[in-house]
Amino acid sequence: MVASYFLSDPSVLLSDLVFGLLLGCVLAVVAHGLNMIWGVVKVVNIAHGEFIMLGAYGAYFLNLYWGIGPLASAVFDAAIGFLVGYAFYYVFLHRELRGKETVSLQSEMVTLVATFGLSLVISTLALIIFSGNVVGIDYDPGTLLLGPVSVPLGGLYVAVVSILIISGTYLFLERTFIGAAIRAYSQDVTATELIGANPAKVASLATALGFAITMAGGALLTVFISVGINPLMGTLYAPISFVIVVMGGPGKMWGSLAGGLTLGIVFDVLQAVATPQIAFATGFLLLIPVLILRPEGILK
Amino acid sequence: MALELRDVDSGYGETQVLRGVSLKCGDGTITVMVGPNGAGKTTTLKTVNGLIRAWSGSIMFGGEDVTRLHAFERVERGMASCPEGRRLFPRLSTETNLRLGAYSKRARDSVDETLQDVYGMFPRLRERAEVRVGRLSGGEQQMVGIGRALMAKPSLVVLDEPSLGLAPKLIGEIFEKIVELKKRGLSVLLVEQNAFQALNIADYAYVLQEGRVVNEGPPSQLMDREELKKAYFSIE
Ligand SMILES: Nc1ncnc2c1ncn2[C@@H]1O[C@H](COP(=O)(O)OP(=O)(O)OP(=O)(O)O)[C@@H](O)[C@H]1O
Ligand SMILES: [Mg+2]
Repeated sequence: MVASYFLSDPSVLLSDLVFGLLLGCVLAVVAHGLNMIWGVVKVVNIAHGEFIMLGAYGAYFLNLYWGIGPLASAVFDAAIGFLVGYAFYYVFLHRELRGKETVSLQSEMVTLVATFGLSLVISTLALIIFSGNVVGIDYDPGTLLLGPVSVPLGGLYVAVVSILIISGTYLFLERTFIGAAIRAYSQDVTATELIGANPAKVASLATALGFAITMAGGALLTVFISVGINPLMGTLYAPISFVIVVMGGPGKMWGSLAGGLTLGIVFDVLQAVATPQIAFATGFLLLIPVLILRPEGILK
Repeated sequence: MALELRDVDSGYGETQVLRGVSLKCGDGTITVMVGPNGAGKTTTLKTVNGLIRAWSGSIMFGGEDVTRLHAFERVERGMASCPEGRRLFPRLSTETNLRLGAYSKRARDSVDETLQDVYGMFPRLRERAEVRVGRLSGGEQQMVGIGRALMAKPSLVVLDEPSLGLAPKLIGEIFEKIVELKKRGLSVLLVEQNAFQALNIADYAYVLQEGRVVNEGPPSQLMDREELKKAYFSIE
């Protein structure tokens, strides 16, 4: 079966590769939000997947009631995510991080348990409110034929937006004063306070940005899962995000993209030649050689 | 008076380190604090710049009580620090490190001018502007540390062992720069292991021991005391 896939029409393989790359871009964005919080604030948000799920439902309901497409919904989701991120920082992180030079093991445990609890609460509430039914958004702007390769336009738009989001955060961190302060915070919290920045302001902004990106990513993701929005989808996309961030290296903004593209291609090509289960398992297993050979992530 | 500590107690968690420390730092002067390892010199500076909170007593800065202010709020009022170990941002460039020093509102608008000023004072840093700070030599890093503090347009600079780990020739250079700060009208509070050199440039000095000020006075007077010579300056 594998051999026949490769021997068959090469345009099928090419189309799969392209689709994998497009999917990789949106997976990158979904992971990018986690990366931001993990890399800067040094906290792993276990409820990450639930916020992807909420972003996806945001897009779903905006589409259902107002006919808004997923790309525009991503903007709404980002705005909501931004506010949710601030709330999240002050409710879950502020007390643990305030006045600390580094995140202590105890604080790390507290935030892990707290965000784990949050993830359970959100997915349970989602099951009650949204019901367990799988829903989707009808969004198909058509297909672009590039010679023998067919490129789904919806996926292409999402991929472009995804790359814009990642480059946008990169430029923000590189070119603005507050962005530099965020990078500074990720390296030395105490020194950040000594240059006159309020550490809580810097950390909460980074958290808010991370949530904005995560929820926008959830909206973008809906284009790839035309029938796959459900209250438990976080249990798939959270581990995918963790793998991507670890692959790319926490705190490396382009790492999200490198990890996302890698995983997107692996998932898509393996799904075509084998089964989705094998595809996901392989994607996750890839982490082992990465961690052994390049523990700081695949990007230098 | 640029800075005044009155009867300050402070420490970490349950451990008290400072016991009734009082000291003054006059406008436009260099005030030096010396003392053996573990005496509480760094703790004093951390209490001054707000990284740790005084348990009791008060800290007046520029005529204002700053005892309860956060470190970043003290920066906004004109107090800048180069802490123990320098605490630069190793993965950011020299220039980004310096520019970040001007983060506070008081300094941000004039960041470009101040940067030229700092480059004027440390021409070496201009050459190294694009290099990651982690790759700089110890001496260059110390210049970035002082330069970053100056970027905040401070009236008081708090320096914790700026000569630590530097070659003797560089130490002299750093001390010259500290004197230059004073000439520009800044007040300096300096903690140093190199007691002789530090006292040479000091206007006033304190000796700290086990969290208490055990001696103070103009440097000439302190250096005359036989017991001090033995205790602190014999290594020279
Ligand atoms: N973060 C901390 N937590 C607990 N105790 C500390 C901490 N930092 C310092 N101490 C203790 O406080 C006391 C004073 O330390 P401090 O660093 O102020 O001394 P110092 O005079 O700066 O010494 P050195 O010359 O070695 O730099 C020491 O007994 C030290 O063990
Ligand atoms: Mg010290």
